[in-house]
Amino acid sequence: MTWTTVAKFDELPEEEGVCVVAEGRKIALFKIGDEVFAIDDTCSHAEAQLSQGFVEDCAVECPLHQACFDLRTGAALSAPATEPVNTYPAKVEAGAVLIEL
Amino acid sequence: MSEAQESMTTERKWPELGPCRVPAWVYTDPELFERELEKFHYGKCWNYVGLECELPKPNMYRRNFVGGRPVLMTRDAEGEIHVVENRCAHRGSPVCWAQQGEVKDLTCPYHQWTFDMAGNLQGIPFMRGAPRPNPGMPKDFDKTKHGLTKLKTHVHEGTVWASYDHDAPDFNDYVGPDIIRFLDRILAGRELRLLGYSRQLIPCNWKLYFENSRDPYHATLLHSFFTTFGIYRADARFNVTPQPGGHEYIQSFLDPSLRETRSDVTAEMKTLKEGFTLEDMSVVTPYDEFEDGIISSLQVFPSLFVQQHGNVLALRHILPKGPQSTELAWTYFGYATDDDEMKTRRLKQGNLVGPAGYVSMEDGEVLAQVQAVVSQNPATQQIVEMGGRDNIGPAQTAITETLIRAFYDFYRREMNL
Repeated sequence: MTWTTVAKFDELPEEEGVCVVAEGRKIALFKIGDEVFAIDDTCSHAEAQLSQGFVEDCAVECPLHQACFDLRTGAALSAPATEPVNTYPAKVEAGAVLIEL
Repeated sequence: MSEAQESMTTERKWPELGPCRVPAWVYTDPELFERELEKFHYGKCWNYVGLECELPKPNMYRRNFVGGRPVLMTRDAEGEIHVVENRCAHRGSPVCWAQQGEVKDLTCPYHQWTFDMAGNLQGIPFMRGAPRPNPGMPKDFDKTKHGLTKLKTHVHEGTVWASYDHDAPDFNDYVGPDIIRFLDRILAGRELRLLGYSRQLIPCNWKLYFENSRDPYHATLLHSFFTTFGIYRADARFNVTPQPGGHEYIQSFLDPSLRETRSDVTAEMKTLKEGFTLEDMSVVTPYDEFEDGIISSLQVFPSLFVQQHGNVLALRHILPKGPQSTELAWTYFGYATDDDEMKTRRLKQGNLVGPAGYVSMEDGEVLAQVQAVVSQNPATQQIVEMGGRDNIGPAQTAITETLIRAFYDFYRREMNL
């Protein structure tokens, strides 16, 4: 388990997702206030990028079929998804965003 | 379309003799055909859509039709059966294209609108717009109002029925106590097992097929296989019984001794051949599994004939495809308790029916021929007098056309003709 720098905090948009690739994995980053959350970018229901989704109340809504996922836990909050997505620990240090893979 | 086929419904007048005459225009008129679908299939009727055992697991679906409209019979994750229209609420594409399947949800291939197994709209790609800040769907678009069209659904002893009218009467009231009793004779308390399907497209109006199936008279004459092997003969005992609401049942009492016998009745039948036999007589030697000696067929109007010929259990689903085209979808079934011998017996006797069956093949052919003739002269009339011009009551003989008269008596009232 290693911490990897994946983005600069200042360059992340507010309340929107960004897709980064780390160790071959597509990961969606979300900046909510002072915090950053990292989850798998691919929806557990269909082939869709959660980083393109609509963010509200610390949840992201999949752009394809509006399944919602909790950014903290990855849990599927609404149909049509039933399976969670992976989450990754994330932190901000000296302006850099790091996630643990 | 020829001139003869153009609609003249407004000028149509039924022959004065009533139900013992059928005017040939009922087999060709396209406007009449559309009115029939509206009235019979999309109205307060219960239509057959399948067997529960066709969906053995949750999240399975199977396609079928109600009248001309494509529908899906589905089983949700909790095991409940639903029937929804196979028409995407968005732009009218069929949602499911395969005949049957096991899926996570129902997703239309055209724009990937996604519905749950009960037809509720779950997701619309790019509903929030893409790329942002393009607007996407209007903010007030309400997903709960744009699901697949849901049909009222009823499961009766493993058979699945649907109605477009959510105020349709209770299924048991719709079919009536006699039909329920004879349905339950072969369905109640049984776990059904699917044995297979066959389909045939007959170039005829659906009512010609109805007449044929409600006509035990022809069965003793056209179908030499029946008479030769004593399965279905005019000198057997029959119950031929019209029911209210367009339903009916026919029962004959199997008497294997008739195979060896000629009588005054059979002497008139040119189709009865003496001395014929089969290498394997088990095809025509049913086992009396219901212990009542009865061969039974019944109709649940407007979509299904339920048939028990010996040990053949078959559902004939009538799908009107056009004024002059009818699809007949056969479903063969048995019981979970059948041993291999019984299963083999059912499959073997199944050779009697279906598009290439020793018996049913002749129906498809004769109806295609009749359609070709009557469509060329819509002003002609069919004679339906066997058993009495005005008699639309039950008969104890196969030599009767009472069920055809009873059908047209019902039909004329429903269609205001």
